[in-house]
Amino acid sequence: MTLTVQRRFVTPEPDETLEALAARALPDLPLEAAMDRIRGWNLHIFAMRKPRGLLLGGDVVFVEPPQS
Amino acid sequence: MHDLVIRNARVVDGTGAPAYAGEVAVKDGRIVAVGPRVEGPARAEMDAGGKAVAPGFIDPHTHFDVQLLWDGAAKPSLEHGVTSIIPGNCSLSLAPLRAADRKAVVGMFQQIEELPPEAFTIAFEWTWEDWEGYRRALEKGLAINVAPLVGHSVIRVWVMGADANQRAARPDEIAAMQDVLRQCLQAGAIGLSTSFVDVDENARPVPSRFAQFAELDALCAVLGEFGRMLQIVPEFYDADITIARIDQLAELSLKHGIPTTYSPVFDNRQTPASVDRILGRSAEQFARGARVWPQMQTRPIDISFSLLRPSLFFARLPRWVRVLRQPLEARIASLTDPETVARMVEDAGPDGGERLMGRLVVRGGGEAPAHLAGKTLKEIADARGQSCALALIEVSLEHGLDVAFLSANGGHDNTDRIGPLLARPDVHIGAGDGGAHLASFATYGDTGYLFSEFVRGTGALTLEQAVAKITGETAAIWGLKDRGLLKPGQAADIVVFDPDRIGRGEERPIFDMPGDGMRYTRDSVGVEAVLVNGELAWTPAGYTDAKAGRICEMAG
Repeated sequence: MTLTVQRRFVTPEPDETLEALAARALPDLPLEAAMDRIRGWNLHIFAMRKPRGLLLGGDVVFVEPPQS
Repeated sequence: MHDLVIRNARVVDGTGAPAYAGEVAVKDGRIVAVGPRVEGPARAEMDAGGKAVAPGFIDPHTHFDVQLLWDGAAKPSLEHGVTSIIPGNCSLSLAPLRAADRKAVVGMFQQIEELPPEAFTIAFEWTWEDWEGYRRALEKGLAINVAPLVGHSVIRVWVMGADANQRAARPDEIAAMQDVLRQCLQAGAIGLSTSFVDVDENARPVPSRFAQFAELDALCAVLGEFGRMLQIVPEFYDADITIARIDQLAELSLKHGIPTTYSPVFDNRQTPASVDRILGRSAEQFARGARVWPQMQTRPIDISFSLLRPSLFFARLPRWVRVLRQPLEARIASLTDPETVARMVEDAGPDGGERLMGRLVVRGGGEAPAHLAGKTLKEIADARGQSCALALIEVSLEHGLDVAFLSANGGHDNTDRIGPLLARPDVHIGAGDGGAHLASFATYGDTGYLFSEFVRGTGALTLEQAVAKITGETAAIWGLKDRGLLKPGQAADIVVFDPDRIGRGEERPIFDMPGDGMRYTRDSVGVEAVLVNGELAWTPAGYTDAKAGRICEMAG
């Protein structure tokens, strides 16, 4: 059974920062651009959460935009 | 000699097989014979009058953990035909829990499940810390069967103390959590629950959310030793994240050979494709051999509230939540402070809350004037020349905050769509939340609603399918031993009901919680008798003195 392609994600490593996660997930992008993309694709972490941007071990962090 | 024979029955045995006219015999708490005709004498007989005789219903998503300590029937679940319940969902249970950590865990229960503080302080005595002790406390007075989950957040607190909601666990701590989970499973817990969405009373993520996937994987390895369930609360408001969770569950299910379930799953008019995508992903994972059960409730999302207490209705309005969580005096001070009120109205939206609140209906309340009952907030606001948000605040203040509003059909209300979803073989009916959200809605009667709306109403399920969904299939999904079917050897959990009448009563407030606390309830409709382990537990005349409930044993 082949699974349909879904939005790719990673989960944070212990004590991983946004910078480290962005560098790991999007190594081909400049760090600031990678961080901006991660922020924009993960509003559940970087907009809806208090405190904003608190990365939790159980988080799903998308590394690509929503599929159209 | 049989203890009881139920004659003149329409036997619906929980397998989905066609109903037939027959009889059911019970002895020593077990079913000993089922068929068109049961031979042998009986100490007692019950004439079912041609009504349906089915296995007792099983409710797989409840939060009766604390109520069971003073009400072993989990009222009113039992009178709706529910004979087995699964508490301990959403990462929360009442064991294992050290005395020093009770306040923190009770705070989570109060915040997440909207339970009043008195429920934890005046109705029972805390006599346990470990799971075995909790089990003993529960077993003192059960009238209903209980199959409890142990909560991941609580296990984290047990092992990590105050660090549980601060950081990832070290390898030694993960190993300790595995040991604790193993002890709980050996002492009667039927699985593990975790949450990816909930926050505590300080709005901080609950401990389970700080766990790395490796921690959950390690705990699922222990579940795999027993073949037990993992239940999660995913980020149900977002289909992409929910699908990611389904994939994680599938990985855990395949790796460890365990069943998993996620709840809730709602249909939503605003994003109708979401539920199809989510269930489609589950189906793909089932096809791979993973067991990833979506739990779907039968009833629409109705939420009632007053400004007397916080409500999940305001979940997306943090300022409202902050104001309503204050003690009464401070709350009234905030609600009469022009600057605070202006900000609350602003937060309600550029339309003054009309989109969010305009369709709210006044349902009455201790102090609510009769002339407001049944009116929408928009009608009231227009008459007052105010915004909806301001009218909500001021009408409440004028009546001591004791004005109840109903947000009806807030989603999951398209019966033509939901019926076929509930009928899918890969959808698990549940997610009811019994024993929680007491002042927001009454989940009781979700089973009756299944029959009234989706069997008699839309015809999406046959009577036999509907019964199987909430009996035999539920027992099989969870691995409950000897429950869910009418066949010899099974526990005699039996409900007699009228298929032409079964439903749910109107939602109404009652004040039977500890400290005269309020909750919404619904009376049963069309249920005529409920037996638990062979003993008559409820009839329309009321509850009996039977205390035949048990902690459920697991198959395998």
